[in-house]
Amino acid sequence: MTQKIFPRNLTAQAAYQVAGNPATTRLEDGVGNCYPGLEFDHRNLDRRFFPGLVFEFVAQGDADTQRTGARLVRLETRDSDLTPDPRNASDKEVEAANRLRADLGRESVVLSKGDWFIDTIEQNGVEISLAGASDGNSPLDGMVVWRLVRCLEPDVVKITLVRREKSTIKTRRTVSLIGWRRKFLEPTTGVIKTVYQPGELTQSLCSPWQHDFRDCACDYWASNHPDIVIAQNPPGAPTDLPTGAPEIPVRSLSSVDWLRSDRKPEAAAAALGTFGANRPYQMDHYEINQRWQELNIVLLGKEISNIFRPRIADLANPFGSPDELADNLEFLAGIEHVLVLEYLYAYFSLEDPKNLRKNPKWPTLVEDLTFAQHELLMVVVSEMRHLRWANQLLWELDHAGLIKRRDPVLKPALEVPTGTGGKRPRALRILDADSLESFINVERPSGTIEGQYARAYATLRGRSYPPTMYQLAERIIADGVDHFSRFRGIKTVLKPYFRMPSPPYLRNNLKPASPGDGRVKRVLGLYQEILKALGEAYKKGDLEDAKSITQARLEMAEMDSEGQKLAREDVGIPFF
Amino acid sequence: MHLIDDERPLVFIVSGSRLLEVDRDLFAEIATGDKEAMSLLRKGAGNAPTPDMRVSADREPNAISLNLAQTCNLACSYCYADEGRFGNRPRLMQFEVAQNAIDNLLEHSSGRRVTIGFIGGEPFLNRPVMYRAVEYARASAAARGVTVGFSVATNGTLITPEDARFLGENAFAVSISIDGDSSLHDLARRDRSGVGSYAAAVSGTLTLLEHPSRARVAARATITRQDLRVTERIEALASIGFSEIGVSPLRTGPDQSLTLAPHDWPVFLGEMVRAADGEWQRMRAGQTARFSNLAVALRELHRGSSRPLPCGAGANYVSVSADGGYFTCHRTVNDPALKLGSIREGLSADSRADFLRSRHVDAQEPCSVCWARYLCGGGCHAEVIAAGRSGCDYIRGWLEHCMKIYTRSLSERPDFFEGTAAL
Repeated sequence: MTQKIFPRNLTAQAAYQVAGNPATTRLEDGVGNCYPGLEFDHRNLDRRFFPGLVFEFVAQGDADTQRTGARLVRLETRDSDLTPDPRNASDKEVEAANRLRADLGRESVVLSKGDWFIDTIEQNGVEISLAGASDGNSPLDGMVVWRLVRCLEPDVVKITLVRREKSTIKTRRTVSLIGWRRKFLEPTTGVIKTVYQPGELTQSLCSPWQHDFRDCACDYWASNHPDIVIAQNPPGAPTDLPTGAPEIPVRSLSSVDWLRSDRKPEAAAAALGTFGANRPYQMDHYEINQRWQELNIVLLGKEISNIFRPRIADLANPFGSPDELADNLEFLAGIEHVLVLEYLYAYFSLEDPKNLRKNPKWPTLVEDLTFAQHELLMVVVSEMRHLRWANQLLWELDHAGLIKRRDPVLKPALEVPTGTGGKRPRALRILDADSLESFINVERPSGTIEGQYARAYATLRGRSYPPTMYQLAERIIADGVDHFSRFRGIKTVLKPYFRMPSPPYLRNNLKPASPGDGRVKRVLGLYQEILKALGEAYKKGDLEDAKSITQARLEMAEMDSEGQKLAREDVGIPFF
Repeated sequence: MHLIDDERPLVFIVSGSRLLEVDRDLFAEIATGDKEAMSLLRKGAGNAPTPDMRVSADREPNAISLNLAQTCNLACSYCYADEGRFGNRPRLMQFEVAQNAIDNLLEHSSGRRVTIGFIGGEPFLNRPVMYRAVEYARASAAARGVTVGFSVATNGTLITPEDARFLGENAFAVSISIDGDSSLHDLARRDRSGVGSYAAAVSGTLTLLEHPSRARVAARATITRQDLRVTERIEALASIGFSEIGVSPLRTGPDQSLTLAPHDWPVFLGEMVRAADGEWQRMRAGQTARFSNLAVALRELHRGSSRPLPCGAGANYVSVSADGGYFTCHRTVNDPALKLGSIREGLSADSRADFLRSRHVDAQEPCSVCWARYLCGGGCHAEVIAAGRSGCDYIRGWLEHCMKIYTRSLSERPDFFEGTAAL
């Protein structure tokens, strides 16, 4: 029914008669109203269906089979329905109450010893056995028993109680009682009978972060919680892959049970395959009540227990003027240049995988080295491209009339940013663990270089700059992350060799020759030629001098083979 | 029952002042008197117990006003009080009269909250008695465990920095009679030599507005038929610094050419609606409500205010004249027909009961058939007795408009109603 009348002010609201909740929320029909109960747990009403007795409906899974069914938990001889008010009750009712009160009094001593369960229910001449299979050893599930009790009419009921012994059910004792299915409401007022204690009817309603995280099985909101999750990294573990994933790959791939009882990091082993298999290792009811705060928040499938700390403010403030930007680009070009040389020197320090024989001790050495060499070369080439792009940004500033013309920047910087805010002197080093680590640091996202480009990028987003420029800066920034990943990849592959005093992938004795050394005269000459050709080409800017570029490329190829040749003799090129 | 066709149609049920929003189809059916629709409405509206509409004089008043000065420094053309003199010679209230009145008030008020108002005339013409009366009332009230609040109605022209401090310290509710900007104000509010009082009123008012401390300062503008604009008055008064501004149309007064004539009421209603709409736009933008006619109406509608009388006159409120007579209110001072006793004899319960019974809205015509009777209460006794009822269509139109704004504000400014208790 569509609502047609909406009371607006307070007097209208007070007078408004609520038509009633829709049929789907009535007690009988409500969602999950007995497991444990969303709007209302009906079992809480029916546990007192028989005046003078209080039962608990024990479901399978809550206890072993022998203890499922309707278990007697309490005798209440002071139940007000056992002494009905003669003014409101018929003589028949008063008489029935008197008889039941007497029976309960007589049996109270017996019933107070041992575990008693309902064995049969009889109404209107129909008797239902709750004993289950004929052997009597598999009594009905408490939920089934509850459904049967629920179906009773508010009329005379005969029940038989049975005492279940621990050892066997055969030698059993029974007690029969005749009473009536309680009328749950007071006949005159319509309110619920006072035998129900405050809180009794609501005692097992859905409540997340409590029992329901274990028990709710109705797929309603209280059951909505993570089941398996990626565990968070233990304190101190490196988390610095650019994706934020942990360094130990297995940790990022194996899921743990979110409700696990043992919360120690070492207990964060992979969850078992089924809900049931994990169940014994999950927090128990009392544990959830006591330790719910240890259940972690899950973001993107991963547990987070750390306190959220916002990132530091974005420092990518635009430069004040095109000239300031140009000064910065000159600085960056110098850095790109010196990195080309450092990486190139490290590249030559790698053994040539083609010349390595199969080594039984290091079965994957050739493959590892091939990978490392390839990845490093990719970074070198990429840095060369950055050197060109830094220069390109400069000439585009000039062409756009934003700065006075500047010469191409082809001088390597004297210092290299360390990635943590500091600087180190430039150095020609073989690719050992230390130098590799420092390369990783230089390229680390949000480090100095990326930070500087970010400022350049922020500047170039301004309206006075041609749109192509910021796109170029954007690509350089993106490449930085790529370099970082490639170096990390190299590290992963070469790590096993680092423990060796002289790692087999490395030309351990490679040293920079003295600049005056005759053996490096030719290669240094080629380097100068390359710089000269690049300078010629960059000067022309957008109309690059194709001839000079081609010449530089030929000389680079020549330098590569010359460098390899020298390296085989442990002679390093003294670029600076 | 009264139907209000709005974007979201409303049904106002007179008994209990219940306001319901109804579905448009149902509304159309109700409008034709469709039986089924009426039955659905009755069911949906529920069965509220009929509010107690009995009037009685069983309880002593908990509010009095003291006519400190039955004289004034101004000579406003529309003054109901004959420049405060109420047709007699000017006089000032002696402290002993105030003292007796306060004693009478406190005697029956243990454990209650009482309010003492100072009026006139211009009460600041009798400043010493005001100061002493406040001091005396505070001390006596404290001794009896009574909470006492103070109010004053003034033209603002005489307020000194000391007065501002005094009003602030004693948390006065200060009502300043000021009509708008200088052109509007000076139309009527002049001194005896005909000079407009605007400059003096603003100067005195600012003394207080700039340092109100605990005082609550409101502007009250009287609107004559010389100029029926409302919005402009609110804007002008807000620009002075008032955050609470109310207006009253002139119904009675010595100069008939100033009181609103029958054909003025539709115009005035239009002006009120225009002001309310402007104010509602301000409220929607998150600003505070300044227009107290609207703010009070909204809150009363929310509470479902339902009353048999228009005000507390004679019931919980009486006025004391300068020479110690009790009257139904400050507007009926010196009217022998509405005298309720004197400070010497005490308040006459019989006179009060007679007055209240005779003024019950159900006993008034044409009120007894008006849907707005329990919101309006029948109109100001003093005015009705003097000049009969006029402008009832204006009152109904205004209430209807406030109801429309009310349902919108419930959705868009629910915070406005926080703390508004049900009756």
